[in-house]
Amino acid sequence: MPLTRPKPVKVVVLGGGTAGWMSAAALAKLLGDLVEVELVESEDIGIVGVGEATLPHIRGFVERLGIDEDAFIKATHATYKLGIDFRDFGRLGESYVHPFGSFGEEFAGVGFHHYWLEMQRQGRADPLGSYSLAVEAALAGKFRPPAEDTSLASTYGYAYQFDATLFGPFMREFGLGIGVKRTEGKVVEVCQDAASGDVTTLVLEDGRTVEGDLFVDCSGFRSLMLGGALGEEWEDWSRWLPCDRAAAMPCSHVTEEIEPFTQVIGMPGGWRWRIPLQHRIGNGYVFASAFMSEDEACSAIRGAAESMPLADPRVLRFRAGRRARSWNRNVVAIGLASGFLEPLESTSIYLTQMAITYLIELFPVNGPIDSRDRDEFNRLVDMEYDRVRDFLILHYHATVRDDSEFWNHVRTMEVPDTLKGKMELWRETGRVERYADGLFYDASWIAVYVGQGFLPRRHDPRTAIPDPAGIGRAMGSLQQAIRQEVAAMPGHREFLTGRAERLAEAP
Amino acid sequence: MSEARELPRRVVVAGDGQLGVLAAIALKRSLPACDVLVIGAPPDPAAMADRMPTALPFTNKLHDRLGIDEERLVREAGASHRLVVRYRGWGGMGQEGNAPYGAATDPRLRTGFARAWGIGPRNETAAAPPGSLAEVLAAEGRFALPSGAAGAALAELDYALRWNVPAYRDLLVGEARRLGVQHTRGAVGGLRLDGRGGLASLQIEGRGAIEADLFVDCTGPAAALLSQLPGYAREDWSEALPVRALVFDRPREPMLELQDRITLAPVGWLSELAGRDGRQAVLAMIEGTTQDAAYQALPVERMDVVPIAPGRAAQAWLGNVVALGDAAAHFEPLGWFNLDLAHRQLALLLELLPGREIDPRERAEFNRRAALMADRVRDTLGAHYAAPAASHLGVLDRSPELARALDQFTRRARLPFAEEAPLLAQEHTALLQALGHQRGESALGLAADPREAEAAGAAFAVNAQAALLSAPPYALWVREVLQA
Repeated sequence: MPLTRPKPVKVVVLGGGTAGWMSAAALAKLLGDLVEVELVESEDIGIVGVGEATLPHIRGFVERLGIDEDAFIKATHATYKLGIDFRDFGRLGESYVHPFGSFGEEFAGVGFHHYWLEMQRQGRADPLGSYSLAVEAALAGKFRPPAEDTSLASTYGYAYQFDATLFGPFMREFGLGIGVKRTEGKVVEVCQDAASGDVTTLVLEDGRTVEGDLFVDCSGFRSLMLGGALGEEWEDWSRWLPCDRAAAMPCSHVTEEIEPFTQVIGMPGGWRWRIPLQHRIGNGYVFASAFMSEDEACSAIRGAAESMPLADPRVLRFRAGRRARSWNRNVVAIGLASGFLEPLESTSIYLTQMAITYLIELFPVNGPIDSRDRDEFNRLVDMEYDRVRDFLILHYHATVRDDSEFWNHVRTMEVPDTLKGKMELWRETGRVERYADGLFYDASWIAVYVGQGFLPRRHDPRTAIPDPAGIGRAMGSLQQAIRQEVAAMPGHREFLTGRAERLAEAP
Repeated sequence: MSEARELPRRVVVAGDGQLGVLAAIALKRSLPACDVLVIGAPPDPAAMADRMPTALPFTNKLHDRLGIDEERLVREAGASHRLVVRYRGWGGMGQEGNAPYGAATDPRLRTGFARAWGIGPRNETAAAPPGSLAEVLAAEGRFALPSGAAGAALAELDYALRWNVPAYRDLLVGEARRLGVQHTRGAVGGLRLDGRGGLASLQIEGRGAIEADLFVDCTGPAAALLSQLPGYAREDWSEALPVRALVFDRPREPMLELQDRITLAPVGWLSELAGRDGRQAVLAMIEGTTQDAAYQALPVERMDVVPIAPGRAAQAWLGNVVALGDAAAHFEPLGWFNLDLAHRQLALLLELLPGREIDPRERAEFNRRAALMADRVRDTLGAHYAAPAASHLGVLDRSPELARALDQFTRRARLPFAEEAPLLAQEHTALLQALGHQRGESALGLAADPREAEAAGAAFAVNAQAALLSAPPYALWVREVLQA
């Protein structure tokens, strides 16, 4: 234990959106008096805030900050989410759920999906989703938190669907409460040290200055410090992910029930999302401007709305890709300032949270930033982005859709070699390239491969060893057990209401 | 629509040491209708995976999966337990440290969901655990099997087994026979290639050509099958690992201990394995070690010297030949990773077990992951030679992964996650500390409230006390198993 605490590192976070307040709050909470955090934001600059759907990892973030889950759900009008329902992706008219969960259990060292493929070959299998508790519960509109043991009831996880325009302010309140200093003002100049190139000072419109040791760039797509002042190179991925616009439009609820899942629907020029919150439904059309105009997309999202629009469609512009380095000199970009991947798999907040986690692990505490820590941060961020990128491209490429120029393009495009190898291994052997770091493992790849009708040519030969009737019985009893679990679960709205009532009664 | 795939009809395992026989058992269990034939050839004394009388915790799980009962190993193969490796002198004169097995796992990581999805970045700074149960038990000479029950005092304990090699092998042979594995003896020769990068058949003296769909090469460092195939290449590790020869002492008096020792020596290192049928010492020597210097480190009358030329097959699976053990990766038995690596690669083969027709992509996936496994073992050995007091063993190459792990650990108290690594993060951390690598400072560690560490320490002390009460003296435990 050192006798003297190191002098606090002055961290300046630029940008008051989701990424900015998540970063400021996490740094202040987890690094305590090692840091002094100041966040600069301007009320004139809107936040993007479309990241309404999340992944289960968000729960770890909320918990680690010591935030009460119930309070969080109440404040952000959150609903629970068991996965994503994809429609019209592999083929028009077909759908599947990519669950926060898995399918069946391996048997005799062979993965469940191989047995499923064998039974499917014999015409004796039901859809893969019927062997997943998360999928069945989602489709039945049920929800209950999973068990914390190793039983069937522990085979799913959940995330939240929340109002992103409320999440940012919630994190702001939290951050202000633990000592983050908020400065209102628009940055007009980023000053750098002439010798080192490090950022030293932000100059605000009214002439005030904000100085710091470490700058966190959460300025969104503008990437004011990393992309702007430091000129960090942008790696463009639009040849694989051509969508570059979103038309977002909230609508009122039409039904009493709230689906415990996000919907993603393939559209002629991209896809649209449908995210049910407590008080409204988030809708939006993500499209490629090369294949569809903004007007066409806006009218399409209006036409798709099943209930009263609460606002006109708002168009957001973006590009898929990331900065060559997310941490350069003393500037760390987090969120959109670092990179962007469309929210097809609800990864935006995950990628923000992941970068915050790595920054905290590698946070400079004794003197200047060590370039090895910067390199390590960039290695990890790149690995995370690259894995998500390949997984997203799969959704577009593994398709037979040929009903629009957009789908013709993504179906026939060259994909990154890293994805090509994975898809070939699956196509020829039914095996998933294995990794344990980053995001999306076997169960996710299998859900999308099978869900989009990209079935392998062959599967594990050992599936021929057990008696098919025995496999059929085992798979049938799994379905039976799943049905029983689902039947015992409350409906999603019922669970939400019950929870709210219990909260209100609590002293 | 996915097609059915024909199962292999015959698999030949070349090499009938403890590794080859276990591989045959595993293959026969996976493919009950397949002919599995083991060919025994005179063992190569340098085949570490066949010679070392111990492995790591993974092997216990593999045994369990293959129906090899651990109590039988205790009763029939002289098995005993190691909870801790005691490293001596690696951090400097007189420095000692323990590297225990096992890790405290957050129960939330055991749920079905966490196993399928993970719960976030894998390489978060692991807060130093307040203590190790394995260490406490080893120090007191007490032992009981870890309990799977959540909250049980011994839930986090893990251990490695040592055994008597001939008795262990005999037990495996009996099990293999029971399963219907065939066995023949004789020198392997007359390899006929299949023109597709693999092997059509091989010959054994006095028997005709033997064909198979899949050949498993467990012949030791010579890689008698794999090395004969087109495209065979070896990656030389001699710039990364300094040991060139081993001296094996004869077994000494029996020793019932829960820890083994690895001591840094002027010529290399000395390992001492306890065991119910005799303590066994091995001296590892760097190039140019004189006989006098060796004798000084390990005074044995007749020196049984075994050369080591460290390296791995660039691709352990070529055509229809898969190499395991020293045929795939050959290196000094520092920390006894040899059989562990062989068994993990065997488990990988079982996971990716091909049909009669082998797909090049599943072979490539095996080779990718098997190479990661081998390279991370090399790096783990490299972390030993990077210890503060080991610089006299030579200036060695460090892979970028090893350099990064050492740098991050010593500056940031952090271990980057590595795919297919041989140790759990907590085991790895303990090993680095036992070797005298100074743990650096993490921002999270500095920011943490010291009262949390105190509370964790107090909770550990309570748990350790409960563990000691529930675990009998080791000798008593062994006696009870033997009498059962």
